[in-house]
Amino acid sequence: MNPITSAFQKAIQDSGTPAALISIVSDIPFTPEQTNQLGVDFFHTIRGRAIAFGSGLKLANPALKIVSVVGDMMTLGGNHFVHAARRNIELVVVCINNFVYRKVAGQEAPGSHQAFSPYSAFEEPFNIPHLGNSCGAVYTARWTALHTEELAASISEALNKRGLSLIEILAPGPDYYTGIDNVQSELTRFYHQNSVLKNGEDPRSVGIGPDNKIVVGRFTDRERPTFIDVYNIQLGKVLGDKFEPYGKTESNR
Amino acid sequence: MKANPKDVLTGVHYIDGDVASGYGALAAGCRFIAGYPITPSTEAAETYGRIAPPAGAMFLQMEDELASIAAVIGASWAGVKAMTITSGPGYSLMMETVGYGAALETPFVLLDVQRTGPSTGVPTKTGQADMMQSRWGAHGDYEVIAIAPDSPQELFDYTIKAFNLAEKYRCPVMIMADECVGHMTEKVVIPPASEIELEPRRFYQGSPDQYLPFRPDLDLVPKMAKAGDGFRLFITGSIHDEKGRPVKNDEYKAIYTKRLVDKIRLNKDKIIELKEENTDHAEVIVVSYGISSRVSIKGIEQARSKGIRVGSLRLVTVWPFPDEKVSELAKKTKAFVVPEINYGQIAFEVARCSHGRANVVLVPHGGAGVHRPEDIAEAIEYAAREEKKIEQVIEYKTRLEKLVFQSRK
Repeated sequence: MNPITSAFQKAIQDSGTPAALISIVSDIPFTPEQTNQLGVDFFHTIRGRAIAFGSGLKLANPALKIVSVVGDMMTLGGNHFVHAARRNIELVVVCINNFVYRKVAGQEAPGSHQAFSPYSAFEEPFNIPHLGNSCGAVYTARWTALHTEELAASISEALNKRGLSLIEILAPGPDYYTGIDNVQSELTRFYHQNSVLKNGEDPRSVGIGPDNKIVVGRFTDRERPTFIDVYNIQLGKVLGDKFEPYGKTESNR
Repeated sequence: MKANPKDVLTGVHYIDGDVASGYGALAAGCRFIAGYPITPSTEAAETYGRIAPPAGAMFLQMEDELASIAAVIGASWAGVKAMTITSGPGYSLMMETVGYGAALETPFVLLDVQRTGPSTGVPTKTGQADMMQSRWGAHGDYEVIAIAPDSPQELFDYTIKAFNLAEKYRCPVMIMADECVGHMTEKVVIPPASEIELEPRRFYQGSPDQYLPFRPDLDLVPKMAKAGDGFRLFITGSIHDEKGRPVKNDEYKAIYTKRLVDKIRLNKDKIIELKEENTDHAEVIVVSYGISSRVSIKGIEQARSKGIRVGSLRLVTVWPFPDEKVSELAKKTKAFVVPEINYGQIAFEVARCSHGRANVVLVPHGGAGVHRPEDIAEAIEYAAREEKKIEQVIEYKTRLEKLVFQSRK
């Protein structure tokens, strides 16, 4: 089992969430072989829409726990992420950052500081935990794929957070052009060895650059009312007795 | 299964088509609508947004149409009936995800209150130029069902029917309304819940170990399970086998795709609804849908008053297309007249099915308005007069079209 799947397995056990209530919704990177061992429902959506699909799944049945494993999050899915975080929809967003578009040959991505594009990368990359923190995520963390224990703890904590959590995982992912085909590659070890643990670090200062150490840790951990909380408060205020709080009754299902 | 009385606003209403569709969605048992405001569909979403929360249902205004339709498909897999509402530009944005919904055999309804295009068009004015997009909008082979209502009453009735078809055939169902029908205010009679028949979801009832999410029943439609019930669902938009696992060989691709299209094509007779009138001895048959069928009524009357035997075939269901019916009528009539607010979409379908037996006269309209009944009457007169068999679709020169040509000189 690869380290990310192991972390998920441990996290699900530790979080106390029944696996049957968890839906993993991916856009592209989380491959089938990695999910069938977890006992969860799995939805492979289309590029960028995992968070939007997951929002619908969650709001139509608030009893579900949704983990959106995303790769195209900062491009096609950027707007969905920004708004899901703003609304604080209860989702665990796991962003697997391999810095490039690896399956299609390593083109420059919003997380790149180096890429296999013809003239390499020259754009400023996103600082993903900072973005999540600014948009309202209640939990942000970053780990490399080899921080299995810490990653499992983060996923487990996120599953129990009320609101949107963002966990960035640095992992090369499958790769068709350099022959690196699993996350236990030298590249992952390089990420791991060049990382420095700084729990509670200000997310503004955890951007990844070519010359500095990769900061890992939990950066944000706070409380905010969720989308369903504020929905129920506002509609309860306006509709009074005519309104039954959403997500509490069978009629929502 | 009957509608839930809590969801049905029984009574006589004086409302516009958009509002009627919102009422219809709730009556159909829809529990989740996600959308993004866009003229001229906004009132449908606003209506549902107002009546849904007291009924325990949710309206969610998303960040865009891409998110709206993705959330709707997610909600459907959570086990609830779901819908999205939009118009031209939003409809275009949704197309990739329509294909995803079709590939997953997700029941959902999409209301497109058509405005003009391309691009922004005239946002507040009517059009019927999304008809081919509703059929072919996403990449790849798939089939959808599309219905074209022509009154607020029909927007209520056919919104319910759209949900029933979506559940029965597990496919996207498009309600192809237009700005005129959406904004037309008329009497709408909403019956008691006990008179509204709803199609329940085809849930699988056996044990999770035996479940194959894409094994079809005899009508080629598989049974569904929802997230959270311990089925360990594996659902992907990639081509998949009966277990849902991705497969890459061409044999399986053929098996998969053929079923996706055949579940609609082979059930066509059960899906298609048409309104046919005086076609038996007609010299000319007007084939119309949506607002153009309302305008045609007067055009047909005018032509009849001149002694022409005119029949009418109204396409309530536009997709799947009633090939056999049009072919059969082509043997009996001299010509078809097809008024539509575009430069030829359904007219070419009529020509395809007519096999050169009857002339096909397109009465075009550029959008931002409807046909003058006189244009339709004159096109009928022309079609009745024309003795030559003309293989191509004949584009009738309406008063507006004559102006177009004058402007080029």
